[in-house]
Amino acid sequence: MSLLDALPTPKLRRGGCPNAVLASLSIVMLAVIWGMDAVSVAPNRIVQGTGVDVLGAIGLPGALLASLLILAIGGLASQPSRTNYAAAMGVVVLLLALMPFGLMVASHFLIDPTLPQARLGIGASYWLILFILLLCLIELRLRLALTRLWPVLILTGVGLLWWLCASLWLDDLALVQEFNARDRQFIRAVGQHIVLVGVAVGISIVLGVLLAMLMRRFRRLQKSAFAMLNFLQTIPSLALFGLLLAPLAWLAANVPVLAQLGVSGIGNTPALIALVAYSLLPIVRNTYIALEQVSPDTLEAATAMGMRRGQQFWQVRLPLALPVLLEGVRITTVQAIGLTAVAALIGAGGLGTFIFQGLGQAAMDMVLLGALPILILALLVDAALGALAEALRPGGIQ
Amino acid sequence: MKHSDQHADRRLWIRSLLWGLLLVVCVMGIAHAEGLFRWLEPDARQVIYQRAQFYELLGRHLLVVGVAALVTILLGVGAGIAVTRKKGRDFLPLVAQLSSLGQTFPPVAVLALAVPVLGFGTLPIIMALMLYGLLPIVRNTLAGLHAVDEDIKMASRAMGMTPLQTLYQVELPLAAPVILAGIRTSVTINIATAALGATVGASNLGDPIIAGIINGNMAYVVQGALIIALLALTIDSLFEGLQGRLRQRLSSSQRLS
Repeated sequence: MSLLDALPTPKLRRGGCPNAVLASLSIVMLAVIWGMDAVSVAPNRIVQGTGVDVLGAIGLPGALLASLLILAIGGLASQPSRTNYAAAMGVVVLLLALMPFGLMVASHFLIDPTLPQARLGIGASYWLILFILLLCLIELRLRLALTRLWPVLILTGVGLLWWLCASLWLDDLALVQEFNARDRQFIRAVGQHIVLVGVAVGISIVLGVLLAMLMRRFRRLQKSAFAMLNFLQTIPSLALFGLLLAPLAWLAANVPVLAQLGVSGIGNTPALIALVAYSLLPIVRNTYIALEQVSPDTLEAATAMGMRRGQQFWQVRLPLALPVLLEGVRITTVQAIGLTAVAALIGAGGLGTFIFQGLGQAAMDMVLLGALPILILALLVDAALGALAEALRPGGIQ
Repeated sequence: MKHSDQHADRRLWIRSLLWGLLLVVCVMGIAHAEGLFRWLEPDARQVIYQRAQFYELLGRHLLVVGVAALVTILLGVGAGIAVTRKKGRDFLPLVAQLSSLGQTFPPVAVLALAVPVLGFGTLPIIMALMLYGLLPIVRNTLAGLHAVDEDIKMASRAMGMTPLQTLYQVELPLAAPVILAGIRTSVTINIATAALGATVGASNLGDPIIAGIINGNMAYVVQGALIIALLALTIDSLFEGLQGRLRQRLSSSQRLS
């Protein structure tokens, strides 16, 4: 169960007491926007850019508009009511939607069109404002008691708008230039990443649920299996990938059938094995706990109603266990998205390739091109599976 | 009852001592075990990682994990305490969400994003470890403080304790076992995760592993992985001993009353 479900939900206060959270977040945002570099300009992809503050980037009118909107969030929160919170939510979404236009203005001011290699980097204050706006969104969601689906929908909309802006007008942005230089490669890497994560999580769900059921049947298995899975997690992911290289290479060299199946020392096979090994613990643990925690009274009621054992399992135990089981799947998938990036070191492809290539070439924009989608993917999966678990909980959304 | 408790306690300490001894033996002995690793990699030119001494790597690994753990504990426990006070209660949902968000960020991505800002070296990995280790500590601090019985807090207030005294003398000691469990999870995860730092030039026990992967030398990988696993087991068993000690103290003080 996620932490928040265990906590009391904040009540909407009537009148008086201002919301200290949003007020302090908006003060921090003001400090960030005026105190840090908004963008950076670099003549090419290797040279480190020079920072430009907010006045240089979007001029005085732009800076004032942004500050005004930020102040509005804090101001609306000082008199909390449902309408004011909803209005603050609107302002946050507006700010998020305006952010790419700020970059357009900055690129118009700062990038010399005669230099084809010149590029605009996104600065520290830009990232921080983005992060704090997300915090505002989370806080407002909690205050308005909205379901998890809302932020996902809002952010998807905003993301689509950004994508549109980036593909149509933001050619000078370093990230976009980096993408345009290798768009095919990028799309293939995203595909590889998702397929690897999907296959690994799929295999470990099947194996994990089977193992958990076996552990329920044979109690003696339980202790040793958990000890083994716990031990697997203490081996660093990096080492597990490395340790699988040699045995698999040997197998591929000596067992021709396996080599024909695509087993080899580097690439997908060791990555998949390591991913499954890591994913098993959270899934087995959550499945086991989920199936065990179903109250005996409920099961007795099911027996009294004349359900057979199989019916009891499929119609009572499993549906009741599903939210906790899904929580395990969520943890596993998020973890696997990160681990797959490491798998790029052993030639499994995916978005990690860009990270490690970029680190090798000291081309930070390329590192960003790999790291950002991983982050977004992890956040999306986290939010989507969280929303699904919330919807499936008994007494959740009807 | 008490006697058997002490017995179990001693056994826990002996176990962590054994793991620690094994760790020291490995760190000192790997350089002399060439025959063993030669058997693993018969064709390689070198089978013992030579670029740095293992104890140096171990020291740097411990330093990174230690600094990250210290900052995370201060931040996490501090935040947990702050949002359970009356003044900070507004921030409770946000802090809870934020700490769970921290674990959603994959360490590799955080590492990669931190490099442009903080440069190559040790700082990015410390930052990634901090973000990743925050959730267990914040979660357990909140859970531990929430679980303290309202009646006990009221009683301490009735005895004339100030809120600060209540916090230090009642709430924190009662919540300590749960908080310690969170710190244990956080540190154990981070010992393994710190190896990733080797990819951004933070020299630690991940170095032999990376070198092994790049050169296709299994012996290097085994050496790095072995020491990291032993380190994790040693630290984990130390925490287990500490937890046993804490449990014993709490139960003995209950028996007195």
